[in-house]
Order: sequence, then C-alpha cells, then structure tokens
Amino acid sequence: MQEYKRIDISKDQIVPIAERMRKKNVYLVMIHAFINKEGLPDISWDYAVDPAIESYHVVGETCVPSIGGIYDAAAIWPERELNELFGIEFEGLDTTQRLFLPEDLLETQGRGQIMVTPLSELVEKNRKEAGQ
Amino acid sequence: MSYIVPIGPYHPALEEPVHARLFTEGEVIKDAEVFVGYNHRGIEKLATERNAIQTLVLVERVCGICSHSHAFTYAMCVEAINGTEVPKRGQYIRVITAELERLHSHFLWLGIACHIIGHDSMFMHIWDERELVMDILEKMTGNRVNYAMVTIGGARRDIDDDLRREILDACDKLKAPLDRITEIALTDKTIAMRTKGVGVLPTADAIRLGAVGPHARASGVDIDVRRDAPYSCYDEFEFNVPVVDSCDVFARVVVRALECYESIKIIRQALENLPEGPINLGTKLPKIKEGQAVCRHEAPRGQLSHMVVGDGGLTNHRVSVHVPSFKNTPTVPFMLRGNTVADAGLIIASIDPCFSCLDR
Repeated sequence: MQEYKRIDISKDQIVPIAERMRKKNVYLVMIHAFINKEGLPDISWDYAVDPAIESYHVVGETCVPSIGGIYDAAAIWPERELNELFGIEFEGLDTTQRLFLPEDLLETQGRGQIMVTPLSELVEKNRKEAGQ
Repeated sequence: MSYIVPIGPYHPALEEPVHARLFTEGEVIKDAEVFVGYNHRGIEKLATERNAIQTLVLVERVCGICSHSHAFTYAMCVEAINGTEVPKRGQYIRVITAELERLHSHFLWLGIACHIIGHDSMFMHIWDERELVMDILEKMTGNRVNYAMVTIGGARRDIDDDLRREILDACDKLKAPLDRITEIALTDKTIAMRTKGVGVLPTADAIRLGAVGPHARASGVDIDVRRDAPYSCYDEFEFNVPVVDSCDVFARVVVRALECYESIKIIRQALENLPEGPINLGTKLPKIKEGQAVCRHEAPRGQLSHMVVGDGGLTNHRVSVHVPSFKNTPTVPFMLRGNTVADAGLIIASIDPCFSCLDR
C-alpha cells in the first residue's frame, strides 16, 4: 500500500519546502484543496517521496505563495485550477487567462467558487414544487 | 508573415474539444497556447453526493479508455482511509484488467498516430489486432469499456479456469502481430520521416514541467509508479520500464510499443500465479472513515492520482481526480515551438491526450 504522510506547515514554509524538493528532483504529484468541517480551506502540496507521498498542509489560508517559479507548469496548472474553483489566491500567479471556467464568467463574476445547489437540496426543492 | 492559427475547440482533426493557438512565422510555430475546459462535467462535485459504490460507477465515466484506472485508484483511496486489506485474488484481477486496459489503450494510440501520419493501412492493421484485447475484456467483464471490475475491497468478477486459459492463449496470439507492428514502427520510412526529430521535449524540460507516463519515459525520464511506489500486487511481478531518450514523437511510438510487451508479461505472470481465495470482502456498503488519502496508479497515459476525503459517513466529503493529461498537456506548447503547422496535430496527439479526462 502506498503510504500517505500528512505534515501540517505554516504558509511561510511552502516555498522553502518546494525549493528543497525541486533540488532533490522530487516529483510534485498535485496541489489539492478542500473545505474542511470547520469551513476552512485545507490546501496540500503532495510530493512523491517514493514510495510515500509527503503531503504538506496549510489550513485556514486563502492567500498563499505560488511555487510556479520553482515547479513551472507542474505547479501553475494546479494553482490556476484551485484559483478558479476555490478562489484561493496564489501570490505571483498569472491569472489573466482562464483554465477551466468560461471567459465571460471570469469577467462578470470574478474568480472564486461557483455555487452549485447540492443534489439533495435540488431533489427536496423539486419535490416541494411538485407538491409531494 | 506572422499569423495566429487557431485549432479547435471543435475541429475535424480532434477527437475531443481543446483549443490551441499557434503563433507562426510562415509555416514555423514560434509559440503556442493550449486551452482546456470544454468538457467539464462536474464529476468531483457529483462525487460528494454519492456513496463509495456509486462513486466507483461515476469515476469510471471520467474516461472511456482508462475507466478501470479511475475505479482502481478511487478504491485504493477508500481502502487506504478505511484500512481495508484487499484479498490477493482480487488484487490480481485488478492488475490483469489494468494491464489489458493499457494494451488496448496503447494499440489505440499507435493506430491513431499512424492515421494522423497518413499510414492508414497500419492504422487498420493495429486496430484489427486491438480487437483481440477488446474481445478478452468483453468476455471478462461484459463490456468493451467501463468494465465495473472493481468494488471497494476487491474485484467484482472472478476469472475461472477456462477464461484464464483463454486470456493466456490471447497473450500468445498477440505476440506475432505485436512483433510485426513494432518492426514496422521501428523501420518504416514514412513513420520515421514524420516522427523523428518532431515535437522534441528534452529530458530537463520533461522533469521541469512534470510530464508523466510514456510521454516522460520517451523523454528519458525513468519513472513508473508501478515500480517506484508499488501498490496492489505490482511488487510481485517482474517487468521492465522502457525508457527512450530521443525525446521526439518517434520515441513515444517506441515506448508505447515496448510497453505492450511488458503488459503481456505482467498479465501472464498474474494468470499463471493467480491465488486461490475470495475476490472481495462482500457486498456491504462501506462507510468512508474520517481521513484523507492520495493514491497513485500508473494508468496507460501515465500517473493518475485521486484524493479522497472522508468524514465518517457514506458519501465522500471531497474527491479530487488528476489525470495524466493534466500533467502532460502543459508540455504541448514547448513541443510545438520550432515545428511546422503541418506537424501540430501529430505533436498534440503524441501525448495521447484525453481532454474529457482532464476536464472531469
């Protein structure tokens, strides 16, 4: 089984860790994010320190430094994705072009999470409207 | 004269929507930009509303070619969070399906590459041989794609002795056509002229940009998750990781052709040593414990990663899917530079892109 190691860090450590990993030619698997149970963003930088994944987490920050200058496109695309879908700001990241969202959406609404009605709420709403 | 040549998002040469802008000086591409996002289906969001078994069905629909890879990787994440030990026979069946999937995917790409080059007789020949793999997959799983072979805690369908012998026979039958295809790919003048020195991605750039899979290995980067971070039962099989350092489209053809031999080797070992015992842990709907896991699988196109966050309930708190094309597509503009417009389609195709996968 592949091992997964969670390591909590502060946002000041993001760049030094990325530089250290890049120097050792460690592969950046992905930059992930999710909103945790407390409603705070949990951002993680996952490095393939084979056979394990070292996952460095920053919790509660909405603005973090970009590591695009260190990992190039391997970091820039994940950062752009998280910027569009979670509204997380990456200092130094060029966000003038879209990645996933339509261009007009970026222009009219700005970046950030698009509110999607959860399926359960939608089912409930439809049920009420149908008078069931 | 300088031109901006747009390709796509909907274009006869593209199987899936993507938009590329080529900045040219006459026939030569000076720079390029690639835009994705035309196929976004909100699969990650949908997964938060589904239980683990429903999510297996959902993530298989991320991609038609590597559907098993998605179910395999998602199941590994849930099993890692829950601490589930998968029965050995179930692990072997997962690996056999994964390698058959790699075979059909590589045959498919080799055929498409020949079609783009203009070598249509080779394209038809390769796809004809691919049918042998598709028939075996259909017999094993009931489907040509979306195999539904994975469940949380094992495999959904067993391989009986008759089927085991049949797959072994198919491996034997594949050997001669694969030899012929490889020989033609390596020696044919048309293929060489269209692929050698075209779309070069130097090793340093491949590492810097985070290229994965056969695309990285064709640029001299010796990476393969099956060997570097073994999962399931891959550590029980002997196989080589073909690496070629000419870094061009030709190298991508060679790597994929050689990888077919390695997949057959793995399938053969798995079938000859298929352990006795159960294939899964039963059909009880599992809860996803509170926790997080990131798992990687060497899909046909390269490293596929899933992240799953569980909150102790039946549904996923978060599922994040990142496919090899997400890693390989940013390398395309670098490969296009200095090449001619006529080669752009082949260079884009040489990463074996799946934009539906990428967009999720």
